[in-house]
Amino acid sequence: MDNTLPGFSLRKSFGKSLLYSLPMILITFVFISGGRPDFSDPLSAIASLATFMLVNVLYFLMHYTGKTDRFRAVLFIIFALSLSFTLISNMVETRNSMSFSQADILECKIPFCHLVIPMMIIPAAFTKSIIFPGTILGSFAGIASMVVLWLVATLVLGRGFCSWGCFYGGWDDGFSRLRKKPLLKKINDIWKWMPFAVLLMVSLTAALSLVPTYCDWICPFKAVTEFEEVTSVESAVKAGVFISLFAGLVVVLPVMTRKRTQCSFLCPLGAINTLSNKITPFTVKIDKASCTECFKCVAACPLFALNQEGIKSGKVSVFCSKCGKCLDVCPNNAIHYGIKGVPSGTMKKFSRNLILFVSFLFMAVFASGSIIITVRGLLDLIF
Amino acid sequence: MVLFPYLMSGTAGVKRITIDLSFFLLSRMVVYAFLAVISWYLGKTFLTNQVVREVVPGILYIVFAMMLIWYAVDRNRQKECPAKFVTTVNNRKLIPVFLGVVNSLGFCPALFLILTKGASEGSLSESLLAFLFFFIGSSLWFLPLPLAGKLKKKKVFETIGILATGLAGVIFVIKGLTILIGGKING
Repeated sequence: MDNTLPGFSLRKSFGKSLLYSLPMILITFVFISGGRPDFSDPLSAIASLATFMLVNVLYFLMHYTGKTDRFRAVLFIIFALSLSFTLISNMVETRNSMSFSQADILECKIPFCHLVIPMMIIPAAFTKSIIFPGTILGSFAGIASMVVLWLVATLVLGRGFCSWGCFYGGWDDGFSRLRKKPLLKKINDIWKWMPFAVLLMVSLTAALSLVPTYCDWICPFKAVTEFEEVTSVESAVKAGVFISLFAGLVVVLPVMTRKRTQCSFLCPLGAINTLSNKITPFTVKIDKASCTECFKCVAACPLFALNQEGIKSGKVSVFCSKCGKCLDVCPNNAIHYGIKGVPSGTMKKFSRNLILFVSFLFMAVFASGSIIITVRGLLDLIF
Repeated sequence: MVLFPYLMSGTAGVKRITIDLSFFLLSRMVVYAFLAVISWYLGKTFLTNQVVREVVPGILYIVFAMMLIWYAVDRNRQKECPAKFVTTVNNRKLIPVFLGVVNSLGFCPALFLILTKGASEGSLSESLLAFLFFFIGSSLWFLPLPLAGKLKKKKVFETIGILATGLAGVIFVIKGLTILIGGKING
């Protein structure tokens, strides 16, 4: 069927969807089982099987229904919740507490996350040292593995990392879906530049003080992962800032606006990923021949990447994280995944299949470890 | 830390800096070193009591940070270059030096904040170091100007600068409040 016709659909038959899901089934099977399924521990086997089923059923449904965001979001939110569960359980197991002490800092025992990366670059270039108290090659949240994972993902997906790879994004994505209609509709466009201001500030302060200032003072996700032991007024103020930012930007504002406000207004890594959108081959395009300018996509976009002027001129801004929400709401499939250099409106199915495979595979591989641990933990609680 | 985004959001003319940038920066450095000594001396003379030494900077941080936030949100601020009178100087070689001095003494909220920091430092070397960082941070912006002078005209950079200025203000308000309620903050 012609891609530009109004009746054009991305839905596939059951058999075709299964066929398209086969590569994902095989790769995730090898990754989750390590190539050799082990049934010696029944609870672990059940946890692995449940994760394998979850991942592949969601991927199958993306092809079968032609919808992207609703199934991506399920795995993305589970990923965020399970990662927090894994991190907290690991810390309680190793330290008996969610908080870290000065001794943990001195012994470089702090788990590394990708949000530190913007603050590491300038000090690493000038001092040849990493300003984060973590392990370089550690098996759990080591610096080297996280940097490589982020670098590969951001070069391939650009800001797609924020909707397919970030293990925090699922928090505000989840809260932004709780209400059907937003309470707060008018938000000044200027705020979408805030992450660049945060990036500027934290890069400068980290370079001058050689301390990862974002982690030290601003990161809202300290509230659901780890935090500095409260032993002074300063650490108490920091804890207050973390909790306030989490409550405001990750819970309250996403519920009120139906937007991912932490990702849109604060995250400095999001600013870097926005810049990397310029070089990634994958993008979202608007087929002007099919677009009726209903602007449903503008209202749906959780990251302020679409506006009416952009839709009229057929342009999606660099803020796009390729989450697929606009694709799902478009009544004419006028907005679609595309590859740079290929004219909009053409190769819609091929582009979607390719981008879905790459993005979903990254998320599935990245998320499955923590989901297995979480399911296993829940099974332990039940049995 | 503060003046870099502050300048980014400003609209003062900088074209002439491209000619004698080094003289301009040198004169700024001298003025800042002078201000470091003055602020440290004033702090040492007047902030003798330990309680006063913590309370006064805490209050000043909050006041000046509020001014910085006001600068960021006030869209009707005076946009004319404060160094306009320098154009009346006939000696062309002295112009960048005069500009450097005037630019350094443009008492903005950011400079007030760093003066407060200089006054609350324990030793002269710490005060000098604080001003050195301030000089470096505030000079970075000038370095690419001869090559990329048009950068500043772009609306988006001005927007980011304004937001960063406001953010710096919020950080200093928190810093001031923390100091006031008994915390000590490094950096």
